[in-house]
Amino acid sequence: MMAGRPASRLSLLVGLLVVVLFLLPLLAGRYPLYLAIQILILSVFSLGFNLLFGYTGLLSFGQAGFFAVGAYGCAKILLAVPNLFLGLAGGVIVAGAAALLLGILSVRHTRIYFSMLTLAFGMMIFSIAWKWRDFTGGDDGLVGIPRAPLTIPGLGSLSVATMERYYYVVLIVSLLAILAMYRLVRSPLGLTLQAIRDSESRAEFAGVPVRSYRLAAFTIAGLYAGLAGALLPPLENTVTPPVAHWSTSAEPVLATLMGGIHTFGGPIVGAFLFFMIKDIIVRFTEYWLIWLGAIVVVLTLGFRGGVASIFANRFLSGPVITRQSEPAPPPAT
Amino acid sequence: MKRWILVTFVIVLSLGFATPDPAAAQCRLGVPAIKIGVQGAASGPHADYGRQIEMGSTMAIEEINAAGGILGCKLETKFMDDENKAATGVKNARYLVTEWGAHFMVGTDSSGVAMAMGPVLAELKRIHFFTHAATHRLTEDLVADKKIKEIVRVSVPVYQDAIIAALIFKDRPEIKRWATIGADYEYGYASWSMFKDTLKKYRPDVEFVAAAWSPFLTLDFSPHVSAVMAQKPDAIFSTPWAGEAVMLLRQALIQGVFDQVQVWWQAMGGSVDVLEGITSEVQKDRFKGKLWATARYIHNWPDTPENKAFNERYKKRWARFPNYSAETTYSALFIIKAAVEKSNSLDTTKVIEALKGMQIRNPGGLRVFRSEDQQFVYNVPAGRPVMDPKYPIPVLGDLRVFDAKDYYRHPPFTPVVVTK
Amino acid sequence: MDNIAFQGLIGLSLAMYLWLISAGLTIIFGVLRIVNFAHGSLFMMGAYLAFTFYGLLGLPFWLAVLLSLLGVGLLGFVMERFFLRKIYGIDEAYQLLLTFGFILILDDAVKIIWGGVFKIPPIPAFLDGAWRMFGRPFPVYNLFIIAVGILVALGLWVLFEKTWWGRLVGATASDREMASAIGVNVPWVFSSVFAFGAMLAALGGALGIPVRVVAPGIGAAMIIQAFIITVIGGLGNLKGAFVSSLIVGIFSAYGTLFFPVFELFFIFVIMAVVLLVRPQGLFAR
Repeated sequence: MMAGRPASRLSLLVGLLVVVLFLLPLLAGRYPLYLAIQILILSVFSLGFNLLFGYTGLLSFGQAGFFAVGAYGCAKILLAVPNLFLGLAGGVIVAGAAALLLGILSVRHTRIYFSMLTLAFGMMIFSIAWKWRDFTGGDDGLVGIPRAPLTIPGLGSLSVATMERYYYVVLIVSLLAILAMYRLVRSPLGLTLQAIRDSESRAEFAGVPVRSYRLAAFTIAGLYAGLAGALLPPLENTVTPPVAHWSTSAEPVLATLMGGIHTFGGPIVGAFLFFMIKDIIVRFTEYWLIWLGAIVVVLTLGFRGGVASIFANRFLSGPVITRQSEPAPPPAT
Repeated sequence: MKRWILVTFVIVLSLGFATPDPAAAQCRLGVPAIKIGVQGAASGPHADYGRQIEMGSTMAIEEINAAGGILGCKLETKFMDDENKAATGVKNARYLVTEWGAHFMVGTDSSGVAMAMGPVLAELKRIHFFTHAATHRLTEDLVADKKIKEIVRVSVPVYQDAIIAALIFKDRPEIKRWATIGADYEYGYASWSMFKDTLKKYRPDVEFVAAAWSPFLTLDFSPHVSAVMAQKPDAIFSTPWAGEAVMLLRQALIQGVFDQVQVWWQAMGGSVDVLEGITSEVQKDRFKGKLWATARYIHNWPDTPENKAFNERYKKRWARFPNYSAETTYSALFIIKAAVEKSNSLDTTKVIEALKGMQIRNPGGLRVFRSEDQQFVYNVPAGRPVMDPKYPIPVLGDLRVFDAKDYYRHPPFTPVVVTK
Repeated sequence: MDNIAFQGLIGLSLAMYLWLISAGLTIIFGVLRIVNFAHGSLFMMGAYLAFTFYGLLGLPFWLAVLLSLLGVGLLGFVMERFFLRKIYGIDEAYQLLLTFGFILILDDAVKIIWGGVFKIPPIPAFLDGAWRMFGRPFPVYNLFIIAVGILVALGLWVLFEKTWWGRLVGATASDREMASAIGVNVPWVFSSVFAFGAMLAALGGALGIPVRVVAPGIGAAMIIQAFIITVIGGLGNLKGAFVSSLIVGIFSAYGTLFFPVFELFFIFVIMAVVLLVRPQGLFAR
């Protein structure tokens, strides 16, 4: 594992991308903006997921539970107090709290038991969302959620009702979240998580409180999922129970797999690919499941590093993660 | 030399742009084509309803185009699968309007999807003609109350499932004990609630003795059937629909339900996929005349030349009978045609204005527009599935026809209790 | 009271049906250590094939079921031999992902081949009708399922305790390196076990067609229940799976009778509690 400086070529590319993202409303119409928002949301979601999977070695099938808690939390707040800042903050906090609570239970196990446990918790949240009509609106969900103005007490209020304005909110929040994660994975916490992933016994022997670190990773993943979820209701004006379903939990899994589990940027690349592939496929055929499934199979069999691994040598992309239980990555082409 | 080739190439290309599109020249609205976005559930166990929406809209557009289009403009259509999910339906709607350029949209099976789409339609300023989603709240809340004018409903809502049943069976004094095997979501709760409220007004002596609720995608209803039959009801009000209805009926048959109850009311039992699924049982009269059903259109009513011709054309085109979602969607296209012709415009506000007071003859009968909740009001009878030598699948016979005004709710709308 | 006993019997038939699906999943995990997400899709394929042979081609019901078992067994063999085998020894996560990919492919494949409308054949005559039990008509079909479930349980017990293949499989499951060292063709054992598990899933699907529709997505509904049962019983523990099928099936039936508010939620709670308190399952030795 090398914690090297990223090549300057990569920094330039990323910088250029950020500039393009800021200029997007001037370059593209409303639907591409809408897609971009969805991609940013999935990126944040997947980044949190990969902290847990790629860096800590825990595959969670229940992240949608925290995504939903963030979404419903934000929605309930916005329906009561139309303040976007409060809604986002509230959604994230509640999701983080849920992740902490369920995390205490979940990190007692690893591997398949951990995955099944997270699946169970995620589906429990789905059941609650579906059944608790009085609070969550049941299968109808919550409707009429306003795209409330961003009001910070003492600083003033900014309307974000248009798609363009809301896009900037999502963009800035996402960039901050990505930056935070970038610092996190290169910090001692991030390195410790990777050590735990590679050899739990060795880490324990070195005096690392393994379970606490796993809980930290789980909670942070939950916070990111909650943030992603909280960004959704103002966009769509509705929240419905499928946001908590295991099929939604599968989205960051697929996105990360496609983009590359071994790199920091993999989940973001994967989010873009996942959305674009599905969006383009459904324009031509209704049989998009079979194409998506075929892509998953091909990636699992042949390109486990995801798309990022195909370009691994062209741009050295930050701390390269390897997993001890994997065969060595193929020599770079 | 190469430069000249390139220049010639560019000039020829530009000429391609300059040549007026012959079709556009005749279109009096100044667009290359009128675009209709269509959505329905094309995946999962209710996939036939989305299929039928697609078939109905495609055939309507083919017929309209063959007759010269709308004001000389051809129609173009695009179908997208909403997977019965609100998020997908909304995303597709945004794509269809902002990217593909839809002028109007039709379809939508799921009530949940419809409710989510409502506010977005107002944002997109496009009319969506709802041709299946049955929740009363789409029109009672979003239109009558919140005044979202971009919502127009063409198919009869949940009043059909609930209120007609009460009107028919209030006149059966021997039926006193009702039970429900209900769909465990809003549709099931709302219809049972509306049914009970209506029936109680006419028959205070009636009792509601049992209820069993089955979630979406239940495959085994035997515990629900046996739980309900333990209370020995006289009649059963059943709301799981499509494939679930067929399974439920099968599983009820083998528990001898049709020997014990007097009536089984099957919501949307007149739908083509259900009738196909119960053909062999109806042929053997396994339901003993106790099964009652309705739909949002049935292929054998009204007995008019127009409806018969529609059925013939549809069967010829698709080798299947038109489901109710097909007829409603087909009719929605002709409603769009009438409204655009009247307003001579594609502008949403003008077209909405043109709908006021509209009366239109469709295969399903006469539809009359009601401004208060923007519904096209029409009536569909209820009856018993029976075999008719003219058809390979059952039809509804022994029809009870009610005037729409007798079972449609009217404003001011009182809220309906929507819990179990 | 009679109604309570009756509902219990209904619950038993529910349980035996769930057992058929869970048995294959348990065996596959027990031997290959693969959590086969695609098990529900194999169930669905069994239903589609049986429908084709019985409902479309008019073959006798028992023959249609047999052919569908063979067909899905072949499909299972192909899935294991040419796909899953390539990722043994690599993180379990990839097995989950690969089998998830199969679900997506098969769900669309059935739509393309058979169309999206649900299908249901006429009920075979020998399964029609009812016997009076506890004063009420209890369907012959449900009795048939109870009988099949018990036979399968007995059959599996005999198979794994008494037969050559069964003991080979057991040995490979406990220690594959040792088995290989003494000359067992481990890859062959794996393929045959996966195919066998697939056939059990197909049995569930095929036997369901007289009273359940055959439609895309019916596998997804079953797989979650099967997972819960195998976890509660202990992943890889056949006896555990049998008992937990009984628990879940009978519980659901009584839930419908007494607590209309009783939900899948509670079953997930039980699953979570088992995982937390006794992850090896309620019935691990």
